[in-house]
Amino acid sequence: MATEYAKILPVPDPDSRAFWDACKQHQLKAQRCSKCGRFRWPPNSVCPGCFSWDFEWVQLSGRGVVESFVVPHDVRAPGFKDEAPYVVAHIVMDGTDGNVRITSNVIGCNWEDVRVGMPVEVTFEDATEDITLHKFKPA
Amino acid sequence: MPEQPIKDKTAIAGIGWTAFSRDSGRTVIDLTCEATLKAADDAGISPHDIDGMVTYFHERDTITPRELTHALQIPEINYSLFNNMGGGWSSAAVLTASLLVHGGICKNVLVFRSANGRSARIARGTERRATGNAQYLLPYGILHAAATFGYRATAHMAKYGTTTIDMAHLAVTQRKHATLNKKAQMRTPITVEDHQNSRWIVYPYRLLDCCLQTDGAVALIVTSAERARDMRHPPVYIMSGVGGEAATRGSWETNAANAAPHLYGGAGITPKDVDVAEIYDPFTLQAMIHMEDYGFVPKGEVGGWVREGKNGLDGETPINTHGGLLSEAYFQGLNHVIEAVQQLRPEGVVDDLCEGPHTYDRTKCRQVRDPKIALTCGEDGGSSLLLRN
Repeated sequence: MATEYAKILPVPDPDSRAFWDACKQHQLKAQRCSKCGRFRWPPNSVCPGCFSWDFEWVQLSGRGVVESFVVPHDVRAPGFKDEAPYVVAHIVMDGTDGNVRITSNVIGCNWEDVRVGMPVEVTFEDATEDITLHKFKPA
Repeated sequence: MPEQPIKDKTAIAGIGWTAFSRDSGRTVIDLTCEATLKAADDAGISPHDIDGMVTYFHERDTITPRELTHALQIPEINYSLFNNMGGGWSSAAVLTASLLVHGGICKNVLVFRSANGRSARIARGTERRATGNAQYLLPYGILHAAATFGYRATAHMAKYGTTTIDMAHLAVTQRKHATLNKKAQMRTPITVEDHQNSRWIVYPYRLLDCCLQTDGAVALIVTSAERARDMRHPPVYIMSGVGGEAATRGSWETNAANAAPHLYGGAGITPKDVDVAEIYDPFTLQAMIHMEDYGFVPKGEVGGWVREGKNGLDGETPINTHGGLLSEAYFQGLNHVIEAVQQLRPEGVVDDLCEGPHTYDRTKCRQVRDPKIALTCGEDGGSSLLLRN
């Protein structure tokens, strides 16, 4: 299986390792500051609101709203080429005060049916043995 | 915002460019030398009088200042900068040169942008690794600048009702400007129908919403206002500049909204005082959002404004008089500064179809009528300048 995945895979780092590990468990998590309670995205060690280094990983509901999107049609990269046109959206996650805005694919519908303001929910795609990608489908 | 201490203290004294093409068949150092020699000659100085260099790029596709210094055997370089901030930084490159001159570090700073941006790019391919912030983008297929920036357009359409027909009108107007520009890569007129019939690249952008790819080089010389007054052309003064980016209030807004108060305040003017604007235009609606955020048209109304041609050569604020990145060439916005300088000089642009004095006959002439102040900007309003004659 692992060798058949043709698309670019994320390279986890010390900031993002816990996030990708949660994805492997089919859980969508984000960091919340232990001091001021502010969510943040993408993963980073320090709170951009109060600059505290203390945080916890919190499992999100997985539901969110499409803030905006694009639909690549002309794509040459391996793997993506066969899937085009595909939707890439900015999704603002519920319960995060607008501070977790994730870029991901919206799958399970025609691209023409995607709208700004559309509710979506997370779904997981096991790309390889090591990497599971969070994606979204209409809620 | 207070006036900037640099106001009118420095000037652009020389400009130069090579032919713009899809396949130069030349090395990047060769192209850079040509544009540099032309800019120095235009200023009336020797290339050996250059003592500072600033250039920028996104995916490393150009030469370093050190290579150019060696190639031209320039005896003294007091500051050089090789910056990878891409098209957002175009006006900041010129601002940096201004600061170096105003600060007394350098006398004559060369700013250049050069690349085989079409031919070498095709040869290089697109292989990338999803590290750092890219780990959250590349695996989802954000592989093209139209995908990186297109979400601003989709959000603007949803919030304000802007349409792809509005976008078509921008493409048509800028192409019209390019037909009056001998160095422009795209000089065949297009129609709204041509735009609507062109294929999707990344929704909401079609082929005719997207900028070009170009081989070539552009260069300019920044010096002190005092020295500039003794050079070959009357100076084009740098009034104010801003170069940096922060968060915006929403996807439908660019950093230009953050920059505008500092830029206009820095020069002591308002958007109404701007006679011509050369606005970063990688994609049609991205350019249009810049126009709103710099205050040329009220927020949300740019679609109708462009449909009515108010960005045309005789419009309310003529914009991208050279054809822009969409129809002239792709030099990450430094070609926009070159055009602003040409528009502001007493003799006006030298490469339209006029023979002799400018006629303002729009089948031949792209010179704006008597402009005094010009604005230029980089991608997403990441940097901007006000210039005057």
